[in-house]
Amino acid sequence: MELSAYAQGGWRLLGDPRRFPRRPYAALLRAAFRSLLLGHPHQGLDDPDLKDIDPTVLKHCHAAAAMCILEAGKQKADVSAISACLEDCKLDKERIEQFCTEYQKNKDALEILLGSIGRSPVHITDVSWRLEYQIKNNQLHKTYQPSYLVTLNVENSDSGSHPDVSFSCTMEQLQDQEGREESSIKIIQVYFSCLLK
Amino acid sequence: MLLVLSEAQRADLGYLARAGAAAVGELGRLAVELLRRGAAPRACEAAARKLNIDVDTIQHGVEGLTYLLTESSKLMISETDFQESIHVLGFSDELNKLLLQLYLDNRKEIRSVLGELAPKLPSYHNLEWRLDVQLASRSLRQQIKPAVTIKLHLNENDDQTAHVLQTDPSTLLHLIQQLEQALGEMKTNHCRRIVRNMK
Repeated sequence: MELSAYAQGGWRLLGDPRRFPRRPYAALLRAAFRSLLLGHPHQGLDDPDLKDIDPTVLKHCHAAAAMCILEAGKQKADVSAISACLEDCKLDKERIEQFCTEYQKNKDALEILLGSIGRSPVHITDVSWRLEYQIKNNQLHKTYQPSYLVTLNVENSDSGSHPDVSFSCTMEQLQDQEGREESSIKIIQVYFSCLLK
Repeated sequence: MLLVLSEAQRADLGYLARAGAAAVGELGRLAVELLRRGAAPRACEAAARKLNIDVDTIQHGVEGLTYLLTESSKLMISETDFQESIHVLGFSDELNKLLLQLYLDNRKEIRSVLGELAPKLPSYHNLEWRLDVQLASRSLRQQIKPAVTIKLHLNENDDQTAHVLQTDPSTLLHLIQQLEQALGEMKTNHCRRIVRNMK
């Protein structure tokens, strides 16, 4: 696991007890994790334990901590890889352990966050349906035909919202559609049962 | 339910008596073609030459027949109602029988054509799917993230569109359950009662 020169510089500051005593170090770690996971860039930087830290140093160190967290998460780095990296930045054992403990606590949430970044087709989140029985229209009377109106609720990872996809279909078409989806689920079940064996 | 014919429509249908029973089959064919493909003046001229009848008679007859067949098919009137509706025109028994047969032979196709004119929503055409497993991305390595990519083909305003969508296995299971419920609803007593009583 490698960090940029800028991030390493920030970690060297974090490793210096004169610049960053114990309590501010712990507060900065918490702030760094919170700002990434909760999505507010400066979340936690107003912690009282950080008020005596020079703002420029604070900003540098916060960025360095965030970069290390993201790199560790991206690489799915284990404790030994993280420790080796932070040792290169001259951090003592206690501080490395503190970081690793905080990282382990937040690892799953971080993985979910990183996994959700990226391009993908529009994602189906839900479906709603309506069954109607057509009686007549202005062109044709006595149509007497059931039909379904299906709406697939979707979201776009890029822009968030996306118009839902709606369509009508007959009972037979819905059975066909459901049959194909069922066969895809069976394939998934077979695949994953093989994978887990 | 009886058809109510206006004076103009009766006048047009009156040309059928002038054309004669022998010509009614050909006029019926022209009327159905008119519904399928729209006006074809040349076809009327060709029919006039073939049947040795003036073009005017052919055109009026076809227009009258078109209205009679379309309206009867639209309302899905019974054989009895059809016969009673055309009784007012005072045609011969032979002509009346020919017209009834024309109606019964072409009713299904005419309803199908009329059905195409009804307001339409995008409708299902086909569904293709593909199972993928995401292994890594720029932001996260070493993943095992299954996803089902679906290509949903829809018919929209005489065009076909394709929507590429994706979902995960648990959402897919949820979709299947919802669609099963939707299909099951048609078999409930409530829906069956409505369908039975509407017919």
